Amino acid sequence: MNLFGAIARSIRLKLMLVVLATTLAALLVAGVALVIHDLTAYRQSGINDLLAQAEILGLASAPALAFDDAKAAGESLVLLKAKPEISSAAIYNARGKPFATYARAGGAVPDFPRLPETDGSRIDGNHFVLFKRIAQDNEILGTVYLRADYKWLQRLLNYLGIFTAVTGLSLVVALIASVWLQRVLTKPILATATVAREVVEHRDFSLRARKTTQDEIGSMVDAFNDMLVEIGRRAEELSASNRSLEREMAERLRADDERAKLNAELEQRVAERTAQLESANKELESFSYSVSHDLRAPLRAVVGFSKLLVEDHALQLDAEARRKLDVIQSEGARMGTLIDELLAFSRLGRKSMQMSDLDMTELARSTFGGLNGQVEGARVEFQLGALPRAKGDRVLVGQVWANLLSNAVKFSSRREKPRIEVSAISDEREHVYFVRDNGAGFDPRYRAKLFGVFQRLHSASEFPGTGVGLALVERIVLRHGGRVWADSRPDEGATFYFTLPKEQVHEPV
Amino acid sequence: MAFVSRPSRLLRPGRRRLLAAAACAFACAAGWPDAGAQEDAAQLELRVKAAFLYKFIGYIDWPAGSFARPDAPVTIAVVGADALAAELAQAVAGRTVNDRPVVVRRLKPGDSLDGVHVLFLGKAETARLAQFTQAAQSRSILLVTESDGALAQGSIINFVMAERRVRFEIALDSAEKSRLKLSSRLLAVAQQVRTGTP
Repeated sequence: MNLFGAIARSIRLKLMLVVLATTLAALLVAGVALVIHDLTAYRQSGINDLLAQAEILGLASAPALAFDDAKAAGESLVLLKAKPEISSAAIYNARGKPFATYARAGGAVPDFPRLPETDGSRIDGNHFVLFKRIAQDNEILGTVYLRADYKWLQRLLNYLGIFTAVTGLSLVVALIASVWLQRVLTKPILATATVAREVVEHRDFSLRARKTTQDEIGSMVDAFNDMLVEIGRRAEELSASNRSLEREMAERLRADDERAKLNAELEQRVAERTAQLESANKELESFSYSVSHDLRAPLRAVVGFSKLLVEDHALQLDAEARRKLDVIQSEGARMGTLIDELLAFSRLGRKSMQMSDLDMTELARSTFGGLNGQVEGARVEFQLGALPRAKGDRVLVGQVWANLLSNAVKFSSRREKPRIEVSAISDEREHVYFVRDNGAGFDPRYRAKLFGVFQRLHSASEFPGTGVGLALVERIVLRHGGRVWADSRPDEGATFYFTLPKEQVHEPV
Repeated sequence: MAFVSRPSRLLRPGRRRLLAAAACAFACAAGWPDAGAQEDAAQLELRVKAAFLYKFIGYIDWPAGSFARPDAPVTIAVVGADALAAELAQAVAGRTVNDRPVVVRRLKPGDSLDGVHVLFLGKAETARLAQFTQAAQSRSILLVTESDGALAQGSIINFVMAERRVRFEIALDSAEKSRLKLSSRLLAVAQQVRTGTP
């Protein structure tokens, strides 16, 4: 089995590893620190010892040098055999000539420096080397030379040996301690883990872990058991609510099915009805067209013959008869106009629209200009704002402007200063154009009747008109996908609004 | 009388003389800058003795009251050795020992020994050694001689020649009588040390 895998899966091995790693780390750090300290101290103390030795030697051999007694100097050097680490030594006289020498017994014959170096110590490979001047009364008598072993490598190896032994022993002790400790520590954890595994495998939330300690692990076991209780309860609730949800879902699906079926039926019925309505509408339109058309011939005959009657038999008719014939003629002319407008209205349903980009400002201005020639528009104060461009049939939209503007001129004509204002506002979907006058206005209660065919809110004697104009406006605007409405109070003027969509919509059926 | 004697290497006198002559001949011919090498053996001996004389001072403790001030000079009196006195005066010029300057004084027999710390009796005056001994001991004077057997007559340090080198012997009993303390380091380099009378 892979060792790392085993460690990753076992808390017992992890704990053991922690204990061993801690022990090893502590030992390593302590060991390295000790060795470094000891080697430094060894080196320093070696130099210090040598320095002290040189001092003593210098003191002892000063008289020998002063009184030129090489033998005495040699005898003081011989005392160095008590210091086996000193391998060779020498004393030089004031002129730098060797005066007395010493070599450790059993060693190779040393190679003494020909001349003493300056005062000081240094490390020469595996040796300390030291030179020390001998001085008395400000006079240099000579120099002591000492050479001693510097066995740092051997010392290091000794330490490594000791360190290895200590480490091995410590690890064994730590291993035993950790085996005992982790048993105390991991037993309740492992027991809990076993219970947890069983819970997961068998989905049995009635299982409980046994609490054996009062420490954090004990409270963890308590928490685990509490959690089991909670999870068990939740699982129960969840399955209950799942069941009711499933029931609800099934009911809802069934209801959806029914609704869809109903909708389909409804749509089919609407389509059928629409088709019926369309055909009925068409029939009605063609009927009204033919009726209007057919009415023109007899009307022309009535008007024509009454004219002939006045022209040919004027002398036989008295004044009363001529007045009545005039009435017949004027009423006949009025009926002709009515029939024409009716024809135009019904024709609107059949004509196809030629959509184009329209400069509404220009269209409104030219339309008003056209009206100006006919009526007393010269007096009217006409305010035209900047209107947004729109998509539409030029002729039909022009008709809308013509009807609305002529209405405005007509109903404000009685004012002393008639004023007409044309402007527009836009939102994200559509442009709202409006025509406002300061004319007679209307009673808002009859607002609904405004756009009906032949609906008139004022008498013909007051304001002439057929009652078809606004119906025409509504029809055109609706065909363009817009809306029409109006706002007014009697004697306070009226505002007529119509909208055109920014995006061209499909022509409604 | 007990002698602490050190073993000495034996050289036959004939050979010794030969060696000295050879050394001198070589040194003179080569013209070494070392002035001592150019002189003959007697001159060398003189110089060495002069040097030793003032070097002794560093290893001697005089009793309290021997010096008027801490930096009072040490006076070396020389009797019967004018050449050595001259050499010594040259050697000590400008030198101090234990922070004291060194003064050399030539004395004739009969001169006062007051203020003298070291008295050197040349060979010529050895016969009158006994006259000086009493005065020297009462004044704590280090008595130095250069005659065989002088120690027995009260000298404290006596120069001897050994192996063609100037060495010296010490009589500790005489030093004690003069209330002088000699450093053991000086004793260590003495040819022999006489410790006392039985």
